Formats: sequence, structure tokens, C-alpha cells
Amino acid sequence: MVVLLFWLKVIALKVTLGRCFALLFIAASLQLCGCQQQQSPYFGTVEPRHGPEELWINNSSEPEWLDPGRCSDSTGGEIIWNTFEGLVQAHPATLKPLPAIATHWDISDDGRTYTFYLRPSVWSDGHDLTAHDFVFALRRLVDPQTGSKYASNGFIFQEGLAISRGDAAVETLGVQAIDTHTLEITLVDPLPYFLNFLSFYSFMPLPEHLFQDLQNRGIDSDLWTRPEYVVCNGAFRMTDWLFRQHMTFEKNKFYWDAASVKLDRIRVAMVESATTAMNMYVAGEFDWPGGSTSLPAEFMDHLKEYQDFHSHPYLGVYFYWINTEEPPLDDPLVRRALSLAIDRDSLVQFVTRGGQHGSADLVPDGLAGYKGLHIPVYNPVKARQLLAEAGYATGQDLPLVTLSFNTSEGHKQVAEAIQAMWQQELGITVELANQEWKVFLANAEQTNFQICRMGWIGDYADPYTFLELLTSDCGNNHSNWSSTTYDTLLEQANQQHDAEERLSMLREAEAFALHEQPLIPLYVYTRTQLIKPYVRGIWGNHQDRHPWKYMWIDESFDPHDVMVGAGKNVFEDGQVPQ
Amino acid sequence: MIRILLKRLLELIPTALVIVAASFALVRLAPGSPFSSEKEIPPEVRQKLEAKYGFDKPLPEQFIRYLGNLLRGDLGLSTKYPQRTVNEIIANGFPVTLSLAAIALLWSLLVGITAGIIGAIRQNTVWDHVAMTAALVGISVPSFVLGPLLVLTVSLRLHLLPPAGWGDWQHVVLPGLTLGTIYAASIARLTRGGMLEVVRSDFIRTARAKGLSESLIVWRHMLRGGLLPVVSYLGPAVASMLTGSVVVEKIFNVPGIGPYFVDAAFNRDYFLVMGIVLLYAFFLLLMNLVVDVVYGFLDPRVDVS
Repeated sequence: MVVLLFWLKVIALKVTLGRCFALLFIAASLQLCGCQQQQSPYFGTVEPRHGPEELWINNSSEPEWLDPGRCSDSTGGEIIWNTFEGLVQAHPATLKPLPAIATHWDISDDGRTYTFYLRPSVWSDGHDLTAHDFVFALRRLVDPQTGSKYASNGFIFQEGLAISRGDAAVETLGVQAIDTHTLEITLVDPLPYFLNFLSFYSFMPLPEHLFQDLQNRGIDSDLWTRPEYVVCNGAFRMTDWLFRQHMTFEKNKFYWDAASVKLDRIRVAMVESATTAMNMYVAGEFDWPGGSTSLPAEFMDHLKEYQDFHSHPYLGVYFYWINTEEPPLDDPLVRRALSLAIDRDSLVQFVTRGGQHGSADLVPDGLAGYKGLHIPVYNPVKARQLLAEAGYATGQDLPLVTLSFNTSEGHKQVAEAIQAMWQQELGITVELANQEWKVFLANAEQTNFQICRMGWIGDYADPYTFLELLTSDCGNNHSNWSSTTYDTLLEQANQQHDAEERLSMLREAEAFALHEQPLIPLYVYTRTQLIKPYVRGIWGNHQDRHPWKYMWIDESFDPHDVMVGAGKNVFEDGQVPQ
Repeated sequence: MIRILLKRLLELIPTALVIVAASFALVRLAPGSPFSSEKEIPPEVRQKLEAKYGFDKPLPEQFIRYLGNLLRGDLGLSTKYPQRTVNEIIANGFPVTLSLAAIALLWSLLVGITAGIIGAIRQNTVWDHVAMTAALVGISVPSFVLGPLLVLTVSLRLHLLPPAGWGDWQHVVLPGLTLGTIYAASIARLTRGGMLEVVRSDFIRTARAKGLSESLIVWRHMLRGGLLPVVSYLGPAVASMLTGSVVVEKIFNVPGIGPYFVDAAFNRDYFLVMGIVLLYAFFLLLMNLVVDVVYGFLDPRVDVS
């Protein structure tokens, strides 16, 4: 820079042309400074770049599938939730199940059989939607021929698991159409969270007539979600899909609740880099960089100052798995000592910085009425005491432990902070191993590690979505820890009809497992968002579900009217459906 | 000439075969599977998926199958984007990467050669120092610094161009400049060096003695000699503009094939990795061939045959 300035000076002195350059440079610098003179309460422009009938958002990456029966990623889920509608829909603020295609339902006394009564509704091609479309969709989900990565979601239905293993015919699935508008679902267990789970994207109906039509025309039916073919029953219908660039959605005039849909068109871009998405937000190319795009941690302190920044808790827990079979971590005392030596409050305040909540519990407090265990998040004295009890009076006696994580700046920073905490509080030397994602996953699957990082996002708002992780036959349990006591406790809890009683049984199970410490929970996730102040109808909720149907552009928003509350929080504004 | 070209093209075949075999072996030796995920996939489903892509067969059989499909021009299915074939993905992304590289190349040649000529004919003057200092800065600033700086100034402060995206001519400018600048800087130094090397040679002295005008000497004689190192640099430069667009395409969210170079390998998207490697290998070999031919035209001392 100094060299450059020196030469600019030389030019300005010696050459006429050079003087013009220097003037241009100074003019440009002044313009840059001029933009910073007045600090706006919003991050970037607040003038919409489109009409009030449109919304521009981001969905972070190209989804793997837009097929409800095959989708297993959140970017696909975001699209499916807004283009399909299941038996129930989640309330946009509380996530409580609301009637959707089913107007009402009966539950049998044993809590295992649900009878859903469907409203008359049609697909986006005008074809009638019946109970058979649900039967077709759910059979297809568990059918091994489909190859759905989320087939396990269908294991809650009677015979779901057997069908998936090829031991039973798909017709035996506990989902039957009583008549065209009555559907009966029989569950394996009386799951109290069933209705909440039922709004998940795996359980959407599918247009069987479209599959048959494509097959008759000799078109690969796997391509049915492409805009030229797709038939859906949700609030919006896809009209354009440019691979890895953007998708366009238009209001589905056949949607049963079309009267509540406020926007005519939604443009969804696929921008992977969070920083790029943020730049586009500043320039007004996004009204909302989307639910699944996390803001970069290094910008967090700065962004918090703006009125269009929002954050809310998210149903996800960040934790470390421990391989409980490998010494010295086979001793629960050592594992508990490691957990107690972590200062989680500092970790979230100085390292992750996204407003996360430091927690040593596996189940987030308050989830569906669950009373969290509130295990102490930091107690170095007790940690040293436990380590001494385990036979390691000083941490230096402990054999070298390796902590592995997948390559990412964020995971690395957390691991380094914890490495330092263990070194400082317990005198333990921990080695960090950074592994490429698929290598990391292969090692995790085979429990080929000592300690490894993991995150778990709950699929439904019930403690079981987290507690299931530690059961003996759970394929996602990478700890080598299993306990029949724990399995029995959970099984008994799921047979329990009384909701309060069930939650207390689950709590007992969680306390039992965490006393053994096969994993070390670190913090509960948050979602941080930027939403233009003229966008209304977005509520923060812990499953990051934001139905487009409630969103609208507030034309009365005046950016100059900040002092009288023009920048009110979109999360609390708008009409929440009853 | 045509015979020589044909011969060189035929020689590409064994090279390509070695590349296919080596990349197939490497990508399959890497630990992990395209179907491993955070959440367990039921084993029956996994088997079904592996069978769909033929991953359940022994490796040699898979290789022969792949070669057979390759001969028919079928690059296989992507595992990450299961609704797209590799052919489709490349057909979608490659023209984008090519046009980005073309803009970058144009920019780098325009700026690089101009700066190089100025540096050479005004050697050791202020002009020369400014041009060469700028070139030094250009070489030293990586694209992941230059890109965000351009976005910050041109897009977010001056509001002249969009910060990212693809579709309009406005979207091409910033990624093109970001990608091309580092090459412009190298070209400037190479042009200047090349021209200075010939400036004192006999044929320039002869041209001057014949009384040719200075501009004719510069354009017809000096530049031709000066461009030789640039031409040999352009082959690998074009190839590396194509492969090196990874970062630029990420920063500006350009839907080219650059990011697959890294992501496909991370995702163990076997067929996509192979497709991209083959494409780039083909381009690299082709570029080298083109450079050899162009060299023959520019320098009478080089015999292409």
C-alpha cells in the first residue's frame, strides 16, 4: 500500500495523466467514506428490489431430493414443506400440530390407532387427493425398493421395520385407507409425539396418478419432482429449477388454504457460502438468507447491533461421543471428570459466539414440557476429585487421548478450546485429529476413535429424539455403551399413557445415562438470522420451520421511521393462525 | 501438419487410459462411502443404493463397466445429485466455467500485454515502475483476498455491480477480474521480459537500420519475440484458470464446475470425480498441444514435427 501511494504521489507530481488517476482515487475513497457516515439500524439496504407479491430467499445448497419419500436433508425438506401438505401441519410459532389435509382425528384408547378424516382437496393438476395417496406414499417410504435414507421414519408404523427388511409385504403396513377420505394408522408404540412427528416431510402424500402417468409415457418416474412434471398439494408449486442456481415457486391456486397464502411468487437461490449469502442480503438480493444458512461466527458480535438480526434456540445438541471400551475412557469416572472440566459458558461466549446455550444435558430444557436435568456445566474441583478416584492423581498419568473432529474451522476452535481446558484443569494432554468428512463418518460408524465430535438435530419435539441415540440397537449410537436398564426404562416410558409420568421416566433414563457419560454434551444450538424489516410472518421456532404461506411484504414499512418502532421484531409480528 | 496433429491426438489415448485407471483406483481407495451419513441408513436401503450404482460388484468388473460406458460417452450417475447424470452436470456447469475463464483470459491478456509493452518500451521510467509494481501486487494478492475486496468496494459500497450470482453480463465482471488479475500480472512480467530479451538482438537493429518506424518495430518484431514466453505460459494458465476457478466460483456463487473439483471428492461422488478429472485432463492435454502448434507459427526456429 505504501509503495502504491508513493507511486501515486510520483505520478501526481510528474505526469498530467497521473494527476487524473490520483483525483479519481481520492474521489472513490471519499465515496467509500461517505457511505459510512450515517449508521443505519439495519444491515444493508431496506428497499425491496421487487414488488410486494414476491419474496427472494436463499436455501443454501442444491437439495439431494425434492421427493418426500427420499429426501433426507434440510434443504430438500424446506422445499417439500412448502410444496406439499400432510395430514397435519406444524404451527409456525409453537409447532403444535394443526389440522391440514386431515380436518380432525380419533385416537384409540391404547394410543396406537389413529383415524384421520380428510378434507376434500385436490392436487395441483386438479386431480382429487384421497386417503390412497397417503397409503401409496407411506408404503413407498418403507419399501426397500425405494432406497429411502429416511425409511426408518416409517418404522413407527406397524410392520414398517419388517417390510423394510423384506420380511413382510408392503400391503401389511399399518396404514390403511378405510374409504377415500378416511385413513387409519396403526403404530408399533403409543408414541405421544406422533402428531408432532407427522408433520415431518417424510409423511407427505404422493400423487400416485402422476407416477403411473410417467411410467405409461416411458419417463423415468424418479424425475417426477422436476418442474415440467411435478404435481403437489402444498401452498406453492415449482415452476422453474436451474440446477445449483435458483428455483421459482408460484402460488398453487388449487391449495386447500390458498386464501391464506399472501405471496404470489418466491425465488429461492442456492448460495452455499454464508459470507456470500450475507453480501447478497446487504445488497438486497435476498430478503431472508434462509433458515438453513447460519451466519458466520466471526461477524456475530457486529451483526448483533442491527435490528434485522434475530436469534432463537434450535433443536440441536453439540456433543462429544466417547468410545467407552477403550482405556482410559472405559472408566465412567474419567468420562465424568472430562465433562465437569469443561467451562461451557466460556465456550459459547468466546468461541462459538452465536448465542448458543452451554449445557451438560442431552435433552434441551423445556422441550415439549420436559424438565431438563440441569447438570452442572463446570466444576473443576469435582472433576479433579473424580480423576483422582479413578487412579490418576495428576492428569499427566493419564494415557494420551485423541479427540477427532471433521475438518471445519468451527469444530477446530471448539476442540482447541476444550483441549486447553482439559490441559489447564486436569493436566491431561489431548491430541487433536482433524479428519475429512467421509473419513470421519467411516471412523464414527466403526467407533474407530477415542473421543469424536457430533451434532444431533431433533426430528420432532420430544425428548425421545435425543434419548434414542443411546439405546443399544440404535445405529447412531457410536459410543460402544449399552445398558439394558436404560433400554427398559425408555421402552416402559413409551408404553406409558400419562404424559407427565412418561416425561419423568424419560428424565430418569437421561440421568442414568449421563451418570455413565457415554457422551459429553456441550451446548444447545441457536439459529441466527437476518430478515429484512419489511418481511412479515416469520416466527422463530426450535425446529427452524418457516412456512412461506404466512410470509408477506409490509409495504407500509418506512425505513426513516425507525424511532417509532418500524423495525419491530418480525418474529412477534403478524397473525398467528389459531 | 494434419498428420502430425492426428499423431499427437492418437498419442492422447494411452495417456487418457492411464489417467482413467489411476483416478479410478485413487478415488476408490479413499476411505468412506458416498452413502455414509450422520444418521444411520438402514442396511437394506444401503445395499439397494449400492446395487443401483453397481458398487456391489467387484472393483475390476466395475472398472470394465465404467470403461464400456465411457466409450459410449456415458459418464454415469451422480450419487450426490441422484436425479442428474454426470454428463448433465458437466453440460450445465462447464460452459459457465469456460465463459468465466474466457473473460479472465481476455482481461489478463489485455492488461498484461499492455502493461508489459509499456514496461519494456519505457524501461526504467516511472511508467515501467508503476506497471511492474502493480504486477507485483497482482501476483501477490490471492483471489480469496481480491474477490471479497472487490465485492466490498464495487458492490456493497459503490453499488455498481451485483455481489454474486450468474445470469447477466454484470455477474461476469467481478469474478472475471478476480480470476484474471493474477494471470495479468504474470503476463505483464513475461511480456516485458520477453521483449527486453529481443530488444538488443540483431534483427531489431537491422529493422531500425532499414528505417522502419518505431511502432512497426514494436508491434511486428519486438512483440512477436516478446510473446513467446507468454504463449508457453498460456497453456497451463488456461488450464489453471479452469481448475483454479474453485475459489472464485465459491465467492461469487458461479454455477460452474470448479467447486465439484473439491466437493465431489469430499462427497465420494465417484462418477462425478472421474468425470471432472477426465474433463480437466483432456483440456490440459489439448492446451499443451495447442501451445506447441501456436509456438511453431510464432517462432520460425521451432519445428512442430
